[in-house]
Amino acid sequence: MAPAVRDLIAAFVLLNGVIGAVTYVTLLERKFTARMQSRIGPYRVGPHGLLQPIADALKLMMKEDVVPAMSDRWVYNLAPLAFLLPCVLVFGTIPFAPGLGLADLNIGLLFFLAVSALEIVGLFMGGWGSNNKYALLSAMRAVNQIISYDLPFIFAALIPVVLSGTLRLGGIVEAQQGGWYVAYPVIGQLGFLAYLVAMLAAENRVPFDILEAESELVAGFRVEYSGMKFALIQLAEYAHVIATSYLGALLFLGGWLGPGPGWLGAVWFTLKALAVFLLVTWVRWSFVRIRVDQILAISWKLLLPVTLMLLLAAAFVVAYQGGGGVA
Amino acid sequence: MTLEAAGFWGLAAVLLASSLAVVLTRNLFHSVLYLAVALVATGGVFLLLDAAFLFGVQLLLYAGGVVTIVVFAIMLTERLVGERIRQTSRSLVPGALLAVAVLGSVCVFLRRASLPVKRPPLAGALTAALGEALVTRYVMAFELLAVLFVAALLGALYFARTDD
Repeated sequence: MAPAVRDLIAAFVLLNGVIGAVTYVTLLERKFTARMQSRIGPYRVGPHGLLQPIADALKLMMKEDVVPAMSDRWVYNLAPLAFLLPCVLVFGTIPFAPGLGLADLNIGLLFFLAVSALEIVGLFMGGWGSNNKYALLSAMRAVNQIISYDLPFIFAALIPVVLSGTLRLGGIVEAQQGGWYVAYPVIGQLGFLAYLVAMLAAENRVPFDILEAESELVAGFRVEYSGMKFALIQLAEYAHVIATSYLGALLFLGGWLGPGPGWLGAVWFTLKALAVFLLVTWVRWSFVRIRVDQILAISWKLLLPVTLMLLLAAAFVVAYQGGGGVA
Repeated sequence: MTLEAAGFWGLAAVLLASSLAVVLTRNLFHSVLYLAVALVATGGVFLLLDAAFLFGVQLLLYAGGVVTIVVFAIMLTERLVGERIRQTSRSLVPGALLAVAVLGSVCVFLRRASLPVKRPPLAGALTAALGEALVTRYVMAFELLAVLFVAALLGALYFARTDD
């Protein structure tokens, strides 16, 4: 089989796997939050509500597609796609187990960060194209927040890069064979914590969800979307959260490393990623939304200096020990 | 035609079309979206040249960063302040002349330089080589750039200060 054909098939399988997994992650989150609030959660469709995501998807596909009359039609219609594309593209560079992944790029982490930075384009296309004041305000807040939290997120994600001396995601996992980076004294724990906070903000989840803020902005930039386009936006959001969870598990929790035979690697990795996801969900349903100025203050006055210092500290440690780097 | 050549011509077409659209569209917001397309296509050219690191940086800084900031400015002025801004392209003719002149001089230089027919392959780890060059050979220019950025930052703070 020609390599191009094989790659195409692999990409097709990965894409559908991601979409399927993401639909079920919504069920996991609903069940999890229901338990936190002493509810049962979805239970009627299928055993223990296991068919609920499929029912949801079917419902959304059959819904009427409403396009606001005064919207910027092209921008409005393209926005869900522009939002979804980067969110699923980042999965291409994640190695799920040794050799199991689409492309373990040399610049893996940079590719991940760069492509997910494009997500914002789809977001403000939706906010602008809807021609709705709530949607626009939400897009403004999103831009505001992303400018503030991209830097701490990148700096936190770069700490393992400095420690392992490679941008290749597979290489970062291999470098953790001696011990996961979350166990690295001080730098590891603080770095992971900073990563989690920056991740919450980058994913616009409570307590950083001012751009969605149901009570003030209805549903934020997606307020005018319905049917399949709404589904695509939701899908993209969850795909991005899952991708970032995988990245967190890879950078700090040793990726596919774990006891047992090699093929268990993908299972370990997925379990770690789900643990990160549930941690984030736990925070989401435990805290209240904070104000805009508080969000900006946390980023610029606390997170940015801390991650910068941690990065510097990691660089000093590596330089002192002579390990890590390319030399 | 090789795959690389096909990719290049495809990207070149996208790049040209979107760049023209940036300056010719009247709607300022659409103009920024075309700019994002043009910047991503530029990244694609880097990728074709095996410069994956530059591709990533291009996406992160330009398509992600610069476009975001420009959109921020447009949204603040147009929809929220209520002032509709149109792209006027008043200096269309002088602009076109200047563009042709620049293109002409670039072509002259390209003619004079003896370019290899085939692109030599990029040797070694590009990312590491770039990093090393920045802190050894070009460290002076690198640090001067940092000073320039600090100066720009201070200038922005000065303009943005409130009187009290």
